[in-house]
Amino acid sequence: MARVITVTSGKGGVGKTTTTANLGTALARYGARVALIDADIGLRNLDVVMGLENRIVYDLVDVIEGRARVRQALIKDKRLPEMYLMPAAQTRDKDAVNAEDMIALANEMHTDFDYILIDSPAGIESGFRNAIACANEVLIVTTPEVPSVRDADRVVGLVEASEKGPPRLIINRIKPRLVSRGEMLSVDEVVEILAIEPIGVVPEDEVILSSTNRGEAAVFNAQSIAGRAFDDIARRLRGEEVPFMDMSEQPGVLERWFGGLFRRRAKA
Amino acid sequence: MITIKGAKDGLQVQIDQTADWDAILSALRTQFEHGGSSFFAGARLTLDIGNRRVDEQQLADVLQLMEHYGMRPGSLLTTEGDSRAVARAAGLVTRAASRQNNNTRNEHDAEDGMLLVRTVRSGQVIRYHGNVTLIGDVNPGAEVIAGGSVVVWGRLRGMVHAGALGRAEALICALELRPTQLRIASLIARTPDDGASSVPEVARVQGDHIIVEVWEAYRRTRADT
Repeated sequence: MARVITVTSGKGGVGKTTTTANLGTALARYGARVALIDADIGLRNLDVVMGLENRIVYDLVDVIEGRARVRQALIKDKRLPEMYLMPAAQTRDKDAVNAEDMIALANEMHTDFDYILIDSPAGIESGFRNAIACANEVLIVTTPEVPSVRDADRVVGLVEASEKGPPRLIINRIKPRLVSRGEMLSVDEVVEILAIEPIGVVPEDEVILSSTNRGEAAVFNAQSIAGRAFDDIARRLRGEEVPFMDMSEQPGVLERWFGGLFRRRAKA
Repeated sequence: MITIKGAKDGLQVQIDQTADWDAILSALRTQFEHGGSSFFAGARLTLDIGNRRVDEQQLADVLQLMEHYGMRPGSLLTTEGDSRAVARAAGLVTRAASRQNNNTRNEHDAEDGMLLVRTVRSGQVIRYHGNVTLIGDVNPGAEVIAGGSVVVWGRLRGMVHAGALGRAEALICALELRPTQLRIASLIARTPDDGASSVPEVARVQGDHIIVEVWEAYRRTRADT
């Protein structure tokens, strides 16, 4: 039985697709059978980030409307034979799919994979609702910016209301130097507002830009600090205990969340 | 004649079973007017008419009134068959009324209280006719609207409207009072752009203004009187 994990955010442009691609790739490198589903119907991106755009024959809407079988639409990754992508349709919109369709699709794929990662569209409308309908875990991506955190908070509320269990948080594109100068929200401040468990903090990294354009996930690049952070998140998803990366300007922030939470609260 | 209550899925209005319908409409209008823009606007309102028989016109009148004040019709609670049929024809969901006591009070009871232990997140609205005690935070973009006072045992960063049905004596207290906006009765205040206090504070109405005091200072003024 696969774990169905939806990556969502509320606000656009915070790194959902990058996160989905990198987590999927990292999990597949650890030997898991991984399927990535691009649920952003009409604005598909995940295939481009994965470098698989030119292999698309059928897409998710073709499967749902019965023109193709799941196996026909799934595209095998270039490098990892255990990873597949279900691309979104580019010429349709979100109304082409509903929540029952997504649940049926996930059910059909359940036995063939260990992880099914779903890249959610931005927003809180039907596309988002479809993307979380079949999830049993939800990851919320935010950047340490006020509008992004505000939207993430809205989405946390909606996910909680859908009774998926508490979502976990990925704080993306943090710039330790700006945080230390007080010009950017710190991890601590973001976690304080959202009050959900963080599963990873990903520093800003230019490698992401070049790897996104090349269609190759940053986790393949041992030099990439963001790639390493995504790899850590994948290991945490697998149940390993991985200490949070030391971003020297803000020492021990996450250790406090996990280790000294009650002590800190008691003092405050 | 009418009783307004906060319910799980919005607000509920209990309507007296015998009083004249026009009097009820005017009582509702007065109440909605009192609520200003925030207490009723956007709320889902359930009507409980008990065993009363309403006709199409009467129902249309009350629905129109609700729409005028920005409410969405929820369901209609009634034990009366004809009323149920009329409501269904108007597109309302009907449920059997389970009115325990027939003595509807003239006033919604502002002394009622609700305790919540949670985070109120952006986009979420808590609406209640009485006092609200929240153990947890009110995040930016969230709203708490109460007929009585609001106590937040946590960080208040969203919008709180206390005394939203007109009670100017209502208070707003928080461990960390840093709201985007505060409202008490018909008054509105916003937080000064620089003010960031981390001690418990109390907001209340004095004259025509909402004033905010450190809890210790408020307690001393109370002790003096």
